[in-house]
Amino acid sequence: MTKTNLLAAMALSLLGATAVHAQENLEVWHYYAAGSELAGMNAMIEVGNAAVEDANITGVVIPGNVVELRRQLQTAFLGGRPPAAYQSSMAYELKTFADGGQLHPLTDVWATIKGDEIFPEGVQRVVKVDGVPYGVPFDLSLINNVFYNKEAFEKAGVEVPTDWDSFTAACDALREAGYQPLGNAGGTFWSLYNFYAALVSAVGEDGYYQIARGELGFDSPQFSEALDLYRDRMVSCYAQNWSGKTWTQTADDLINGNTGMFMMGIWAAGYMDQAGFAAGEGFDMFQAPGTVGKAIFQMDVLAVPEGPGVAAADQFIAAVTTPEGQAAFAVPKGSLAPNVNVDPSVYGYAGATFARQFSEASANDAVLPNLFFLLPTDLGTEFGVQIERFAIDPSDTVKAELIATLEGLRQEALAENAFINW
Amino acid sequence: MDLSQGRLNRTTLTHLAFLAVPTLLFAVFYIYPVISSIHLSLHDWDGFSPRMRFVGLQNYTVLINQPRFLHAALNNILWVGFMLIVPTGVGLLLAAILDRGIRGEKVFRIIFFLPFTIPAVAVGAIWRWMYEPDNGLITTVLDLVGLGGLAQNWLGDPAIVNFSLMGSVAWWTTGFAFLVFFAGLRNIPTECIEAARIEGATPWQVFWKVSFPLLWPSTIIVLGMSAIDAMRLFDVVWAMTKGGPAYSSEVLAVQMYDLAFGRFDMGRAAAVAVYLFIIAGVIIMPYIIYMSRRVQDSEAE
Amino acid sequence: MSSSIQQRQTVLTRTVLFGMAIIFMTPLVVALLTSFKSPSEITRVMSLPTQFYWENYAIAFERAGRTFLNSILITVPAVALSLLIGAVAGYPLAYMSGRGGKVVYFLLLTGMLVPFQIVQIPLFFLVQRLGLYDTIPGMWLVHTAYAIPFCTFFMRNFFASVPRSMYEAALIDGCGPATYFWKLLLPASASGLAALAIIQSRAIWNDLLFAITLTTSDNARPATVAIAGFASSLQVEYGPLMASTVVSVIPVMAAYLLFQKSFVRGLLGGAGK
Repeated sequence: MTKTNLLAAMALSLLGATAVHAQENLEVWHYYAAGSELAGMNAMIEVGNAAVEDANITGVVIPGNVVELRRQLQTAFLGGRPPAAYQSSMAYELKTFADGGQLHPLTDVWATIKGDEIFPEGVQRVVKVDGVPYGVPFDLSLINNVFYNKEAFEKAGVEVPTDWDSFTAACDALREAGYQPLGNAGGTFWSLYNFYAALVSAVGEDGYYQIARGELGFDSPQFSEALDLYRDRMVSCYAQNWSGKTWTQTADDLINGNTGMFMMGIWAAGYMDQAGFAAGEGFDMFQAPGTVGKAIFQMDVLAVPEGPGVAAADQFIAAVTTPEGQAAFAVPKGSLAPNVNVDPSVYGYAGATFARQFSEASANDAVLPNLFFLLPTDLGTEFGVQIERFAIDPSDTVKAELIATLEGLRQEALAENAFINW
Repeated sequence: MDLSQGRLNRTTLTHLAFLAVPTLLFAVFYIYPVISSIHLSLHDWDGFSPRMRFVGLQNYTVLINQPRFLHAALNNILWVGFMLIVPTGVGLLLAAILDRGIRGEKVFRIIFFLPFTIPAVAVGAIWRWMYEPDNGLITTVLDLVGLGGLAQNWLGDPAIVNFSLMGSVAWWTTGFAFLVFFAGLRNIPTECIEAARIEGATPWQVFWKVSFPLLWPSTIIVLGMSAIDAMRLFDVVWAMTKGGPAYSSEVLAVQMYDLAFGRFDMGRAAAVAVYLFIIAGVIIMPYIIYMSRRVQDSEAE
Repeated sequence: MSSSIQQRQTVLTRTVLFGMAIIFMTPLVVALLTSFKSPSEITRVMSLPTQFYWENYAIAFERAGRTFLNSILITVPAVALSLLIGAVAGYPLAYMSGRGGKVVYFLLLTGMLVPFQIVQIPLFFLVQRLGLYDTIPGMWLVHTAYAIPFCTFFMRNFFASVPRSMYEAALIDGCGPATYFWKLLLPASASGLAALAIIQSRAIWNDLLFAITLTTSDNARPATVAIAGFASSLQVEYGPLMASTVVSVIPVMAAYLLFQKSFVRGLLGGAGK
């Protein structure tokens, strides 16, 4: 009886399988599964799908984040069933998969969309590997803004900070008035993104790229100076128990008036807006000290695996990089459209502010991609872990261990020739 | 037993026929992936490219010298200890109390089983609220009863985070121990308990002298599964802390996941999996074998 | 035994029971309340919802509705198959006396030590080759296969507790080992099978890892994938997440209530006589 059952199961399975394979359907994999992220993704896929002639493109959600998506991609690559396109991180992520021979070079479609004209220089350099574009940007977020509760600033009598000294003064005044001065959250990214402000102050934009290229050591005096600056100016301001919160819990603290400031990617503005705490009314933002006039950004791109879907993927990409396609994603999601031709009037108050920051930074050639993705993957990840550890315990011992760990990985990466000249 | 030779053969043949399908499926779905993992663990490989470099035992030797790896292994062993004692003990206690026929028993049975039915993602989200260090329910309740000083940075303090995670896992999995023990208690013939009662034993004595020894099969299952779940622990840790802050709550399965997909180091990740397999084998297999013998012995008596 | 001691014991057990019940219920109440909150209320976790915000359930139904059907179509047969395979493998292992049985048992048990995350790549390859990628029968096969170690372990231990005399009596009566299994042993094991059915229902219903790896579309994706989707990379939609969690608990509870009816005291003792 058991064997009969199993045989029946097998037979049924085969039937089911043929039924599925009959309909040809191309997939775009992404991990924007919820809320405004999903709304943006769906809107963009709709625009793209309309332009694809011979196939139907559907979005497939891989719940989780970039790690889960990579897991799914690896299985799919090996199983010979990759999606037509997928949401990828920039820079080293693209390089890794391109080197692995999995990605379709987007040279043709890049020329069609005039990628060299519609995307700012700082954006272009992190989607090309050896001059060949492997990803097209669709989702850009600045990560060097500090959000603040306007009422808290008023009550504490704080002016919007413009440099480290006024920032420290703001922290002190907020603390005096009974607020937690600066929010932060647990996780490998958030402390690291805050640290970039101190890093850029200490090593400058050139130093920032030198670290990305492996030229400036983690044992250098400049890097040590950055750690000290971060410790003295930011870590000392952090809200109590910050490491036990998620970033949305910290955003809630800002909304509820417990915390005065919170340095976070601009998606925080979308989150607060959705919770009924409006930009320009409840909260406002300023560029973190040391990054005024600059833009540090995080970006998602579409990458196309080699496979039968490449022709349709090219059509899809051409459609979603038009100003309409780019706005279709960016406006609901609350991020910036990487295409410079998108009319800034599509954004609300917060979005318009970020767009202005970004175009100013582009004009000054002061656009810095998230260092996490410029470094070899294991070094970037370890960088995040170590900075979080240092933010929790900013002792000299931890600092020394941090430097030793990261420098060790840098030497390994140098030996393997793993750094890229971005 | 005076079974004839032909009978014995027929029995054996039937047994073998019964085992055929399970072993076949097992070979395909377990042995093949395990062998491929062992193969991977001897290589340096990012997980997708055609380049795969043989490195011998290097992944194993590098790991064994890493504080990060040793810390995660130690965490797993702590988890085994915790899972063997807390959810198991609480589950047994609750099953024993309810088995005595208390009013509202059905409602309690539902309440104690409910958390076990919740998906890990939701458990993570719920407990992130419970453990919110300033306004979360646990801190709030401690404040209300005047024990605010005991409140911790539940998930953000490397010295505390493992205990916090254990608390939420106990809440999540006690329902399993409860269910198996409750079923086991229901399985004990009433005659045994009646006999003991008539002889004047207290409920406490009845439980420890009569019921508990007869619960061996259930106990074996609960303890075995608790230990195995502790070794393979992944979901809730990943959903709540991703092993952080700074690796403090990392267990081996989380580390394996991070290496494989967070850092494109498939070979190293496979080596972690093999280590996990070996450690689990060393800790758990003797126990399972010992306990299985006990069942057979008690049956033979 | 004096009645005052008994009374004190009753009070003690009652207190323990109620205390534990409160601890068990509180997080669930938080989840339930959250499922009725509007997005702006959710920022204050410990507040009560001001009105019933059914929108969360509407969103959950819209985005996860179809997947609940898939979950049922996957779980019911997969539970039945995994019970069957556990019983079929557990039976000879409980009765074989030789060395061979022990070796097979040991081998099957080692399967429980394999972390599932690591088998995903070879597994994907296999399922893809069998043509079962993104199909419900593919999920049956995988859940049945990966249930073998635990279900075998469970059923073997259960069968081992069934009085041996029953087996011997049956054989002497001229009943073959296969007939004994189907006609006598399985019916007598209702409570064990029921307990296992509850555990398996919960495990298969809540599986996320295999589901993400082996399904991509509404053809086969179960509810867990949709539920996990409410917690996106940066944003978490707590309202719909909790609403869909509340809904997803119901089928497992139904299975629990249904199967635990078989936990009848003394069933085995009676059958063994």
